[in-house]
Amino acid sequence: MNIDKIMTDGLAFALPLFIMAIGGIYSERSGVTMLSIEGFQGFGAFVGAITVVILRTAMGASPDWLIYIATLAAVLGGMLLALLNALMVIKLKSKMTIAGVVINILAVALTSFLSSVITGAVTGQATTKIQLSVAPRYTIPGLSKIPVIGGLFQNIYPFAFIIIVVAALAWYVLYKTRYGLRLRAGGDNPHSLDAAGVDVNKLRFSAVVLAGGFAGLGGMAFTYTVANFSPASYVGYGYLSIAALIFGNWNISTTFWTSMFFGFSRSFSDQLVNELGLSSNYSDLFSVMPYVLTLIVLIFFSKHNRPPRALGEHFDKGKR
Amino acid sequence: MAEPIVELRNITKRFPGIVANDNVTLDIKKGEIFALLGENGAGKSTLMSILFGMYEPDEGQIFVRGKEVHLTSSKDAAALNIGMVHQHFKLVSNYTITENIVLGDEPLKRFGPFSWVDLKGASEKIRALSLEYGLEVNPNDKIQDLQVSTQQRVEILKMLYRDAEILIFDEPTSVLTPQEIEYLLDIMEELRRGGKTIILITHKLEEIKRVADRCGILLRGKLVGIYDVATTTTQRMANLMVGKEVDFSVDKPDHEFGEVVLDVSNVTVYNDLKVKVVDDVSLEVRKGEILAIAGVSGNGQVDIADAIAGLQNISEGSITLNGEEISNLSIKERIAKGISYIPEDRQKEGLVMDLNLRDNLAIKTFDREPFSKKGVLQPNAFEDQAVDLIDRYDIRSGQGSQTITRSMSGGNQQKAIIAREVELDSDLLIFVQPTRGLDVGAIANIHQQILDQRALGKAILLVSLELDEVMALADTISVVFRGQILKTDDARNLSKEEVGQYMMGVTK
Repeated sequence: MNIDKIMTDGLAFALPLFIMAIGGIYSERSGVTMLSIEGFQGFGAFVGAITVVILRTAMGASPDWLIYIATLAAVLGGMLLALLNALMVIKLKSKMTIAGVVINILAVALTSFLSSVITGAVTGQATTKIQLSVAPRYTIPGLSKIPVIGGLFQNIYPFAFIIIVVAALAWYVLYKTRYGLRLRAGGDNPHSLDAAGVDVNKLRFSAVVLAGGFAGLGGMAFTYTVANFSPASYVGYGYLSIAALIFGNWNISTTFWTSMFFGFSRSFSDQLVNELGLSSNYSDLFSVMPYVLTLIVLIFFSKHNRPPRALGEHFDKGKR
Repeated sequence: MAEPIVELRNITKRFPGIVANDNVTLDIKKGEIFALLGENGAGKSTLMSILFGMYEPDEGQIFVRGKEVHLTSSKDAAALNIGMVHQHFKLVSNYTITENIVLGDEPLKRFGPFSWVDLKGASEKIRALSLEYGLEVNPNDKIQDLQVSTQQRVEILKMLYRDAEILIFDEPTSVLTPQEIEYLLDIMEELRRGGKTIILITHKLEEIKRVADRCGILLRGKLVGIYDVATTTTQRMANLMVGKEVDFSVDKPDHEFGEVVLDVSNVTVYNDLKVKVVDDVSLEVRKGEILAIAGVSGNGQVDIADAIAGLQNISEGSITLNGEEISNLSIKERIAKGISYIPEDRQKEGLVMDLNLRDNLAIKTFDREPFSKKGVLQPNAFEDQAVDLIDRYDIRSGQGSQTITRSMSGGNQQKAIIAREVELDSDLLIFVQPTRGLDVGAIANIHQQILDQRALGKAILLVSLELDEVMALADTISVVFRGQILKTDDARNLSKEEVGQYMMGVTK
C-alpha cells in the first residue's frame, strides 16, 4: 500500500476540515448553533472561483498567485453569507437550526444560478462548472524522506501553510485573548457577559461572521484539490467538520486530532479501493467509510460530550 | 451618618400591563446598609435594576454622589462604582474564579502586536482582596465545582475587584443555609466597616433586623415609607410589606398518625452522570403525618422525591406504597396507585406553559373517564373541572380556564398545580419546594392547603430548603446531607439551630 499517498492525501483533506471546524467552534462556543458551515464553504469557494474567472479573463493570463487572491475572496465570500446567517439568528431571532438549513439550501441554489449567469457574462459560455488551474504543490526537502510520515511533507498545497498559520492564530485568539475569553463565556452564560457590560449579540455576530471566513478558507482549499468548482462541490464536508468539532468536544486542539482522524480514514479507504482494484461500485462503498466512522464515533462519544451550556439559546436581556 | 450617596427621585417604570415602580423617591446614605423590603412583584428588583443600568426609568431622576446620572447599561453603573450581586448568579460555569471576575474588565499584557489576558496577575489581586474582606476562595477553582455560598462570594469579589462602593444584593440569602446566612451578614457588616454602602433586597425580616440601618418598604410598586430598623418591629414591617395584618401562626393540631403509607428502605440512586446522589436512604411516612426532608440544595433531597414519584430509577432498595412494591412501576402506574407530586420546578415539570389552564388541570387524568370516552377527549368535562377548581382553589387568571399558564403569576401557577394534585385524592402527596419564589400571601395559602391535607389523613412528604417552612409544618424532620439521612426525629425534639447543624453535615 502507498503509505506516502495516504499521508499526503489525508493531510490535504484533514486541514481544510480542521479550519472549517474551527469556524464552527467559534460560533458554537459563543452560543450560536452552527449548521451552515456547508453553505459557507461552498459559497466562499464559489466567490473565490468566480473571482479567478473574472481576473483570468481580464488579464488573459493565469499566474500562480491567483490562488491567493481566490483564497482571500473565498474568505470574504464565506463571511458575506455568514453575515446573512448572523442577521437571521441574532437580529431577527430565527431558530438557529432552521436558519442553518435555509442557508445551506440557499447556498447551493444561489451558487449554481450565479455561476451560470456570471460565467455567461464574462466568458460568453454559461456553465455551472468553473475550471480552475491546478494548484502548485511543495515538497519539503529532508523531512519528506522520513519513513512512514514522510508523506506528510510531500506535495503540500499552499493552503496547508495558510491553514496552519490561521489555525494557530485562531487558537491563540480563542484561548488567550480578551476577545476569546468573552466569546467562550457567551456560550456558557451570556448573562454573565451582559452583567460585565459586554454586548452579547455583537460578540456572537462577530463569531458567526468569523465562522464564515474560516469555512470559506476551507471551502477554497477543497475546491483547489479537485481544481474545479460546481454545485457538486457540496458533498457534506461542512457537516463532517461539525462532526469533527462535536467529536472534538468543542475544543480546538482535540478537534485537530479528530479532523486528522477523519482525513486519514478517508485517504486510507481511497487507497484500499485502489489497492484491491475494485470496481467503482465497491469503491463507492468504501468512500462512505469516513461517514460510517462519523456515525459510530458520534454514537459512542456524544454521551461524554459537553456542549456549551447556552448553545442555541437566543440572548434576551429581559429574561433572567 | 454622611450625606446621601444615591438619590432616586420620582422613579416610574412601566412594563406592558403593569406599573413596576410608581413614583418612588428615596435616598441612600454613604456607609449604611439600606434594606429594600417587599413581596414578590413589589418592584424591588426593578428599582435596583434601574440603579444598576439594566432598565431605564420612564420618568424620574437618579443622582449619584450629588450628580444627576443617566444609566443605560451596567457598564455605566460600574463606572460609578455600583455593583450588584444578582439573585441568579451570573457566572460562567466552566471558567475559574479568576476568569469570571476579570470578565469584561480584563487586565492585558502586551508584546508587539499581541496581547493576552493576564490571569496570573489577576489571581494575585483576587487573593489579596479575598483576604482583606475574609471572603476565602481559591482563585483557580472552577465555578462548577463550587458550592452556592462560594459562588456568591465570587460575585461579591467581582464587585470589589471593580472597586464598587455601592453594593446591591438581590435576595442574597434565598439560596443559603442558616450558618451561611450568618456568615454573609457578617461579611456585609465587614464591608460596611470598610466604608461601602450596601443595598439589601430581601423579604426576610430577621435579616433586616440583624444588619440593616434603614429599610424602605415597597408595596405594589409604591414606596410605603422608609423606616429606622432599630425602632420598628418585624411585625410592623411585615404588615407594611403586605399592606394588611399578617398572621404568621399556623394552626397545626396534634393528632395520632395512622398506618404507614410510604415506606422507603435502603434506597440508593445514581444520577445520569453515574454519581451516587441518594445513598442508602430509609424513611416512613404515616397517614396524617408531614415528614419534611431538610437539607442544603443539591444534597439529594429532590432525587429522593423523584425516585418515589418514578422520575428516577433506583439501583438498590425498595419503595412500597400501602405495603405494595412500586419501585418497578411506571410514573403513570404510580399516579394511579395514589401518588401526587408537586415538583420543584413548576414551570418545567409542573405545567405545560403554553397550554391553557384547563388542559393543565387535566393533564394527569385526561385519559380517564369522564375526560375521555373511548379514546375521544370530552372538552366539556375539562371545562367543568377547570371552572370548579378555579373557584375552589382561588386560582386567579386573566381569561379563566382559557388562560395560557405562562401568563399567570407564579403563585397562581402553583395553586393550579396543587389543585390538580390534591384532586387526584392520592394517599401520598409529595411537595418539593412548594413555596419557592412565592410571596407571603401565597405561602400562607399553600401552607394551609398542606395542613388541610394532613387533617384529612394524607401522608405528606415535604422537601424544602426553607428551614422556617420545615420547622412550621413538619411532624417529623429528616435531615439529608450528601445523599444520606443524617438524622430523623420528631420535629418537637429539634431546634432550628440543630437542624441547621445537621444540614452542614455536623453530627453529634
